[in-house]
Amino acid sequence: MSEEEDLELLALQRQLDDAFQTTRPRPAFEDELWLRMQARRPIMTRLREGVAGLVGGIWEAPALPSGAIAIALIVLLGAGIFTLGRLHPGGAGSATSGLSNQDGAGKNFGPNVSPEYGPLPVPAFGTAPGPPQALDRQAVFQGPVTLTWTGHLDVSAASLPVFRYQEPAQSDADRFAASLGARPSTEAVQGGLGLYAGKDFTLVVIGTVAQPAREPSFNLSELKSISSPSADPLALATAYLSARHLMPTWPYQTEVQTTAGTVRVRFLRSFDVPSQGQVALVDGAGNRYGIEVDIATGGRGAFETGPLPMSLASAGYPIITPDQAVRSALASSAPPTGSPSYPAVRLTTAEIVYTLVWAGDHSFYEPAFLFSGTFTYQGTAYVKRVLVPAVDPSLLTH
Amino acid sequence: MLADRPPFEDLYRDYLGRIYAYVRAQVSSSADAEDITAQVFMNAYQAYGRFEARNTSPVAWLFRIARNATTDHFRAHGRRERLRRTIEHQPLAFDDPSRMAEERLQYRALLDHVARLPERQRDSIALRHSGLTFEEVGVLMSCTEDAAKMLYHRGLKALRDSVHKEGE
Repeated sequence: MSEEEDLELLALQRQLDDAFQTTRPRPAFEDELWLRMQARRPIMTRLREGVAGLVGGIWEAPALPSGAIAIALIVLLGAGIFTLGRLHPGGAGSATSGLSNQDGAGKNFGPNVSPEYGPLPVPAFGTAPGPPQALDRQAVFQGPVTLTWTGHLDVSAASLPVFRYQEPAQSDADRFAASLGARPSTEAVQGGLGLYAGKDFTLVVIGTVAQPAREPSFNLSELKSISSPSADPLALATAYLSARHLMPTWPYQTEVQTTAGTVRVRFLRSFDVPSQGQVALVDGAGNRYGIEVDIATGGRGAFETGPLPMSLASAGYPIITPDQAVRSALASSAPPTGSPSYPAVRLTTAEIVYTLVWAGDHSFYEPAFLFSGTFTYQGTAYVKRVLVPAVDPSLLTH
Repeated sequence: MLADRPPFEDLYRDYLGRIYAYVRAQVSSSADAEDITAQVFMNAYQAYGRFEARNTSPVAWLFRIARNATTDHFRAHGRRERLRRTIEHQPLAFDDPSRMAEERLQYRALLDHVARLPERQRDSIALRHSGLTFEEVGVLMSCTEDAAKMLYHRGLKALRDSVHKEGE
């Protein structure tokens, strides 16, 4: 196989990975199907499990919209109302993990806070565009667990910026491509903003993906190797990106992952946030991401993907207190008793992060609290993550 | 139950998206993919009580159900599917914002090419890129791991040729 053919197939495999990872049902489908399945379960089974245990245990809030929970409760209460006295009492779990306005979350408005974008969309946590078997990922446990918090969360800020960008149009993608020296291809890209060809590279620009959320991005296939003063993967990746003027303009940390055929260099994105320093960007499952450069064996070409450079506006929004965040995280805990018994996880660390929320013409990077803890279950080490929206719930649309 | 197999809820949450993508790569509309995916999980939910983890992994079991459901769909709608596939670049109905969001996903066109590959090549690519190992793909397709690799690589080259052909 020629080098070019090798690279072509590598790029195609990468595109297939992306295609399969980003093809997901519409956001409401998961909840709708689950409710349909619940409705078809034998009624006695439903009664035995009990309203509180089922809702608190099965769902790892906040992934389930409150509307779906309300429907589930109606279905289950309708079936179980006459036998409520016999339901097991272990259901301490709340139906939602979000904080209500009664939690006093609205007390943190500071004098400089101007939530000028109005109510924000609620982040959809629990889903990630990345593959579960991605190179670096610790096994992330998605199922129900019982949670305790033993860490220390010290966030003194009463408000944090929310970043917003306008969805790029095809003309923006054209300008970006032109800045790289690429011309539009005659071939249309269904669902993309544009396909472009340049000297020794091809470029695909796509808009925001709603679910799992991913910002507008470039996907560039380098068809030739590049000269680099060093064979070090980071130096090579930097050389590729610099040659295209695609080095990140935002703060980042780097990470290098190696498999048999490919070296992947990741430039993990952060935001500079006054009073907080650099705050990591994570996807809906809590994984950091940014620009990725896959370098083929021997440095013969590369595949680069990352966020399209865009200007961000920002506005301050009041956030919940650390205590409220901890309560909200623990509210997603499964009932501590009952059957089956769930793994017990101690959440030991928490940090502020940013996560993308699609909202149509404009999308947002919203702050969130990311809690995590590690544990072993059936001989395998897992990490459990819980994301809690940081913005005051009264300023989130539900 | 905990020692034998994960709670069904875990399977549902971890694999709904991947099963949907696997199915979506083979059928021509989101609506069909949703119907088949729903059928897969309905069947799996009902059968999970009888599932024995020592025979196969829950994931391979789930993909086997998905594979059977997709085959059943083609048997039932074979003619209609073939007609649909002959209509290239069918305009999308963007009447529902959430559906529009799904249809905007970046590599829809590539999956359309996958859907037009010969059945076994298509299946090997869809299973492999759904996260299964070649060994698991081989078991599901009743062939050896090496044969699964060969099918996959043939499929990959056929896919590349198909993409090129359209671009000419």
